[in-house]
Amino acid sequence: MGGAQLLMLENVTRSVLLPDDSELHILTGINLTVTEGDHIAIVGRSGTGKSMLLNILGLLDRPTSGTLNWQGKDATRLSARRAAAARGRDLGFVFQQFNLLPGRTAVENVMAPLMYSSGRDFWQRRRLASEALDRVGLGARLDSMPQTLSGGEQQRVAIARALVRRPRVVLADEPTGALDVGTGRAVMELLDAATVESGAALITITHDANVAALARERFRLEGGCLHPLSQEAVR
Amino acid sequence: MNTLARLGTGFVAALLEAWQELRIHRLRVLLSLIGVTIAVASLSTAVAGAGMAQQLMKEQYERNGRPALISTQVMEPNLQAGPQDSAEIAAAFAKTSERFKIEYTSIIGRSYGPQASLQGLSVETEVQVVDPAYGPMHRIFAQHGRWLEAADAENLSPAVVVDKTLLGALGMDDVSLPMTIDLRSNDSSVSVTVIGSTSTRDNGMIGQLWMLPETYERWFSAGTPLDNVSYTMWVPIEGSEELATHFAWQMQAELPGYYVESYRQDYLAWGTEEGLAQFALVVSGIAGIILLLGSLSLLNVAMVTMKQRIREVGIRRSFGATTSRVFFSVMMESVVATAVAGGLGVLISVAVVSNPRLINSVLATGLDEMPGFPVEAALLGMGVSIAVGALTGVLPALVAARVRIVDAIRI
Repeated sequence: MGGAQLLMLENVTRSVLLPDDSELHILTGINLTVTEGDHIAIVGRSGTGKSMLLNILGLLDRPTSGTLNWQGKDATRLSARRAAAARGRDLGFVFQQFNLLPGRTAVENVMAPLMYSSGRDFWQRRRLASEALDRVGLGARLDSMPQTLSGGEQQRVAIARALVRRPRVVLADEPTGALDVGTGRAVMELLDAATVESGAALITITHDANVAALARERFRLEGGCLHPLSQEAVR
Repeated sequence: MNTLARLGTGFVAALLEAWQELRIHRLRVLLSLIGVTIAVASLSTAVAGAGMAQQLMKEQYERNGRPALISTQVMEPNLQAGPQDSAEIAAAFAKTSERFKIEYTSIIGRSYGPQASLQGLSVETEVQVVDPAYGPMHRIFAQHGRWLEAADAENLSPAVVVDKTLLGALGMDDVSLPMTIDLRSNDSSVSVTVIGSTSTRDNGMIGQLWMLPETYERWFSAGTPLDNVSYTMWVPIEGSEELATHFAWQMQAELPGYYVESYRQDYLAWGTEEGLAQFALVVSGIAGIILLLGSLSLLNVAMVTMKQRIREVGIRRSFGATTSRVFFSVMMESVVATAVAGGLGVLISVAVVSNPRLINSVLATGLDEMPGFPVEAALLGMGVSIAVGALTGVLPALVAARVRIVDAIRI
């Protein structure tokens, strides 16, 4: 792709300790490189560790072993504070269940990440949030409460929220999982267009072949490893 | 500078988040804070009320003399008689007080038994013979009319001041002052002019009447000489004990053959301050228990609520909220809420305590000087409410800070 390297995983493993003190190896050897402008889809059946991988990519979780580089630096050595700062500054999350903050309007939800920024972004948070909502076609619904919005609109608010701090990587975990087919496609096209426009990399975790087909790179997570998938294989 | 700006922004943001959270959950917050509001109102009212009660007790004590009050008595040791009154002793007291540059001095002489009468009503009264300075020295204010002045000695009609008990017993009305009544002692009866009235003294057991020594001398002493005469002085507290000793020595020198005794006679010399302090301590203790119960209820609601907000905390962590920021934000929610509740509690307390009718009905007696709402009670109320917010905010904040992000998002 020719862009700057953002994330690089080499032989990343992740195990969890079971109640009987035995270890369950979920990720056994993940190798992945993410550069600016990438659109990567990762498909896999339930329980294969897709969300766990996304958590590692989003600096929410740490690998058991292997190398995880974030912008050329070893991310496994990042302190919790620096990891949080990196998440706030460079990573955007879109969740399956939207995860909008209850009791807050659309614009307040989009403003929420800007509460953790400093300087101009913090003081101009309302303007920036309004512009972000305008870009996803919700300029007229700024003060709407989440429960008054449709599923597609709620996910668009979540996309605006993920993009408002201009992240370098957007991580989407089953972004269309709670939407019908038509709305899901529209949301994915919007997410793709928005990240292309901003130059951010987009990593989508999905089990929907149609969603995966929109990505420029596709992988299947199986047996704890990523396997490249061709466009035809997805279809 | 950047670090300072970041910290400043973080603080403002945490306050905004806290306020937003309170706005969103206003009903829950309102209900959970009722206890704190009531507790802070009770605490502030108790502290302010203790101040009022102290003022009342102080007024009661000071009616027997404001600190430092030195009493001087002169006796003839050989006769084993009580304190004597004579022109010689009065002159010696005046000379010695002048030497010590004492501004407030008064003779105190009492005469029991004179009958005050008006329009057929006749009651026994206690006559006190005092100088004009006796009023300020014993916290006597004329509620109607005025207190005695030196010039009253020249009045053709003897001027007297009476208390409310005597006023009531004679069926007199405040507004009708000045008024003439008859004062009969032994066989002589004199018409005197009541120029002022004061609040009830000495629990109102017997009506009291004050007049100047010159007045008593001219009209009554021939029939009923004063006995139990003493002299009082109002001096600064510091050094008053030494002053009493030296005063007695000096006056003794002026009165060979007499025994002169001077000593502190105000309530501070008896150590009643401890009683007032204990009273305040008991009231504060009760208010503390009320506050503890209010805090426990607040903590209970905060803990239950936090369990329901784990997912929200996870979402915020995904935005980049650090552990310390989550801790601080959650604690600030509690602090901001209790500060608002505390402010409301203090306002309620001010409204209650500043109502003179209510206070006088509770204390069942009139205050000469209605004290203002004590600033320390307001500060204590606000300080305690903020401290309660911080303390009850710590546990939910710890729960929020210890949330594992991946688990929280998955909930």
